[in-house]
Amino acid sequence: MAHLEITALGACYGKVAVLDDVSLSVERGELVGIVGPSGSGKSTLLRALVGLVPPTAGTVVLDGHAVDYANALSLRAMRDQTAIVFQQYNFFQNMNVLENLTVAPVKIRGRNRSETEKEARALLARVGLADKEKAYPDELSGGQQQRVAIARALVLKPAVVLLDEVTAALDPELVRDVMDVVQDLARDGITMLLVSHEMGFIREAAHRVVMMDAGRVVEVGPPAQIFGDAQQERTRAFMSRIIRH
Amino acid sequence: MTYSLQFGQIMRDIPYILGGAWPTLWLTFVIFFAAAALGLFIALVRLRGGPVTSRLAGLWVTLTTNSPLFVILFFLFNGLPNCGILLSPIAATLIAFIAISSGYLAEIQRGGIQSVRQSELDAAETLGMSRWQTVRHVIARHVIKTVSPALSNFFIFTMLGTSMASLVGVNELTGRAIEVTSRTFRSIEVFSIVAIAYVVLSLAASMALALVGRMLFRVRMRVV
Repeated sequence: MAHLEITALGACYGKVAVLDDVSLSVERGELVGIVGPSGSGKSTLLRALVGLVPPTAGTVVLDGHAVDYANALSLRAMRDQTAIVFQQYNFFQNMNVLENLTVAPVKIRGRNRSETEKEARALLARVGLADKEKAYPDELSGGQQQRVAIARALVLKPAVVLLDEVTAALDPELVRDVMDVVQDLARDGITMLLVSHEMGFIREAAHRVVMMDAGRVVEVGPPAQIFGDAQQERTRAFMSRIIRH
Repeated sequence: MTYSLQFGQIMRDIPYILGGAWPTLWLTFVIFFAAAALGLFIALVRLRGGPVTSRLAGLWVTLTTNSPLFVILFFLFNGLPNCGILLSPIAATLIAFIAISSGYLAEIQRGGIQSVRQSELDAAETLGMSRWQTVRHVIARHVIKTVSPALSNFFIFTMLGTSMASLVGVNELTGRAIEVTSRTFRSIEVFSIVAIAYVVLSLAASMALALVGRMLFRVRMRVV
């Protein structure tokens, strides 16, 4: 049974359809890269999965349980197992790093504060930021903020991590730091969906790649297929432009 | 014409004049917190209310921020008795100040609420926070931090403004100064002392507010 089964998912911004008949099956522990031109619906797919953009059609089954996006309890159960890391980090600016990591597990999920803080510190050490727990988000560099954002996602012990263009706002030299962390997670067997323009990284780390365009899935396959032997003309056109530039 | 300073003539009255700081302070606190609460309600109605209530809230803000406080105070204290409504000096002062201040404080707080980033709300939602938890842990802290400097200034502005209450007979700092002046005719001496008292009160309040803002809400404000 797939860990995450998306079937014929649709979503709209107002009256504009931004996802149309998207289907994807993700195995447990799989790292799936999502590529495609801007506006193709990659980020919207992740936002729809966590209910930030409510799906208007289709079904999502996580770990054998269908998600009812109109039902608060069902949505909460889904969000308990899923963490999303945003391109712009989305920190609570008035909380320091440690508070940003612990506010949800302690205040929302009622976990023990000292244990959670211990776990949070361990995660900060894992992403190389053990000395930044008292810093505020605006005191960190872009790469540091993104690594803290990943640690914040992990402290919730998610079964699925959604990464939305996590390197898009970073200087090229900082991209490697963040990607190292992502690759480290992949080795831990966390199921991940990664939206990114870092084609080299996706080619190297992803188990499968999804090519999207105009809100639809154009092609799904292993990196070797998508990057070297695409079956669809749209994928070939996209990849040739990427390679040319 | 020469005027010789004679502080000796008002020495006995100085404790009485300075005692007026207490009514000044409690008037300030009551006006500020009542107006802030009313202002928050008006701001929320303006932002989240229906088409009619939102416009009514907007109308209240327009009226209160464009009306002179002094005129409103005199209208309440001297005008309403003609309609059979007799207000005490304190009641007239509180109503006028709270009404006018609520308009300004509504706008300050509306700006603060609107400054909450959508990204922070998205994060709160995906982290599983309920609406109330989002208000408590994210929105309230953000708004307080954002509006703290403006609220601190408004607190000082209100404290200095309460001197206007003396004109309808409230016996606060300025009221007592006027009373002592009418007895001793030593206006320069009396009002010098009152001016110094206001400066000391304002500086103390500014420092206290900056310290509270810095410690509780990480507001970057100079303490001195």
